[in-house]
Amino acid sequence: MIAYTLKRLGGIAMTLLLLSIFTFTLSRVVPGGPWMKGAEIPLSDAQVAAFKAKYGLDQPVWRQYLTWLGNALTLDFGYTFTEPERTVTELIRSALPFSALVGGLAALLAISLGIVLGVIAAANQDTWIDNIVTSYAVFMSTIPSFVLGFVLVYFFSVKLRWFPAGSWGDPNDWRDVAHHIALPVIAFGVPATGGVARWTRQCVAEAMASDYVRTAYSKGLRASGVMSRHVLRNALIPMITNFLPLFPGMMTGSLFIEQVFGLPGLGRYFVVSSTNRDYPLVLGITIFWALLIALTYLVTDILYGIIDPRVRITEQRR
Amino acid sequence: MTGEALRATSANDPQQPTPPDPPAADLAEAASQPFALPEGYDAETKYASFWVGAWRRFRRNRLAMFGLVFASLIVLIAIFAPVLTPYDYDKIDMMNTLQGPTAAHPFGTDELGRDILTRIFYGARPMLLVGILTGVLGLAIGVPIGVLAGYLGGIFDWLVTRLIDMFSALPWYLIVLYLVMVLSPSLENLILAMVITGWVGSCRLMRGLTFSIREQDYIEAARALGIPRWRVIVFHVLPQAAPLLLWGFASGIPTAVFAEAGLSFLGMGVRPPRPSWGRMLSDSGYYWQIWPHMIIFPAAMITLSVLAFQGIADGLRKALDVSENI
Repeated sequence: MIAYTLKRLGGIAMTLLLLSIFTFTLSRVVPGGPWMKGAEIPLSDAQVAAFKAKYGLDQPVWRQYLTWLGNALTLDFGYTFTEPERTVTELIRSALPFSALVGGLAALLAISLGIVLGVIAAANQDTWIDNIVTSYAVFMSTIPSFVLGFVLVYFFSVKLRWFPAGSWGDPNDWRDVAHHIALPVIAFGVPATGGVARWTRQCVAEAMASDYVRTAYSKGLRASGVMSRHVLRNALIPMITNFLPLFPGMMTGSLFIEQVFGLPGLGRYFVVSSTNRDYPLVLGITIFWALLIALTYLVTDILYGIIDPRVRITEQRR
Repeated sequence: MTGEALRATSANDPQQPTPPDPPAADLAEAASQPFALPEGYDAETKYASFWVGAWRRFRRNRLAMFGLVFASLIVLIAIFAPVLTPYDYDKIDMMNTLQGPTAAHPFGTDELGRDILTRIFYGARPMLLVGILTGVLGLAIGVPIGVLAGYLGGIFDWLVTRLIDMFSALPWYLIVLYLVMVLSPSLENLILAMVITGWVGSCRLMRGLTFSIREQDYIEAARALGIPRWRVIVFHVLPQAAPLLLWGFASGIPTAVFAEAGLSFLGMGVRPPRPSWGRMLSDSGYYWQIWPHMIIFPAAMITLSVLAFQGIADGLRKALDVSENI
């Protein structure tokens, strides 16, 4: 297990290294930047030179990269272009909780609702209930979250005036925050229920078709007991590996929904700094997200090994 | 499994034809008779039964057929947009701003008096352009690299695998957003960015498939006959991949539609004044809260298009019997 973890960590380091080389080099090699003509505030040549010197952009690309990499290893991603007094790390730290909260709650909503729907569909295979759930899953997974966001705002903010149409509210008052982020979480989480329900239905249906379930039934066990003790416990394994990565996935994906509702999360920073071509900030966020996602997959795989002993055995034999 | 619900009624069709043999068996059989190669078999006739059967299965899938009809309509609208509407997509008409649907403007007008129906028509163009170009160019790059990686193995495969890992380390829209930012936002650069990230999918499919085909007996037989490598790849490996690639192409389109709408929505795609459905959502500012017709139509078009292309892709997956995880 330890050897396996170390091997995976090595793979992650390699991937992140490649990703950082690719993104960093691209941002330095492709002509243009925030100082180019057409920027909101035109800069004189001297100003551009001073700007480049300040951020070390006048040095060769490889030296810039090595400096960046050395700092990045200590999670220091440098200073942003647009807010020079703040470091990228500070910005990430201040914006992350917003994205984590919205993305995490949306993922929780998607997983809980999706699992319930999926189990209901699998338990009633090939009936009208199953048909409704699978149609729902297809339809939901095609609605972009930002489109649903608009629809929800129109009905629940503009027409009914139940919820605010945007912003975060007072961070010190959790009721106010909950009131503000209810719509974003729903708009973001509900489309994701489609995929979760689909996958759950498939896992549960596969478990229900297995021999041990037939044995359990033929022993005369009650249907509810078979479902909870035999079917769901076994279906849980493939489900966990698929749903755990949803958390970082939803956190990174929140950029669309943060744009609709004007939430001050990491995704919004990513979009705003992309528009401003704030390279250090975008680069920092990109690498941070990649690290987060890679670690989640690693944890998922390790958990998988702990839950399912068969995986460990094959791993050792290999 | 997704379209099952929608085609369940036709499942007990008495005239249900027996599923034809998959081409794998035919080809394997043909290839296992060395003297029949290469002029002995006719790929055209061998495949006819498989593709005809696939079409029959596809046709019974209602969501897929809806997708096909809707997608054809969108294509026609995109091509004939100038003929279909008397207005220009960027003609500002300050006398007729923010009108609800009327006879003259069936979908109403926006805050600059531009006809929304016209902008919907023209907005189909960038969407289709991104979808089709991304798919075609992605295949053109991903397939050769994937086949070579799977067939040659070794250091080349190692390098390709690292590249695949790198592009899979992040959700594709983040990489696309990053690339578009660096290259400066425009429709061309959006397509370029989608291709740079999109080839990975077909490459991964082809690499896996080539690995599994490479070990089969008929490939060994072909090689034992002294057939050059490129011929083995072109005539024995690629035909096997056709259904998988067709599905891969089709399933990339809804993603591309979503990408175009989403990135234009974020202001990183189509540049104004050219219309894009995603852009129409974000450009509606706060006007839409009072005049909801400004976003109803683009929002519906985005959702319906994704649904239609997703339906086609799902229908193909089932009709061609390709596995989602290879």
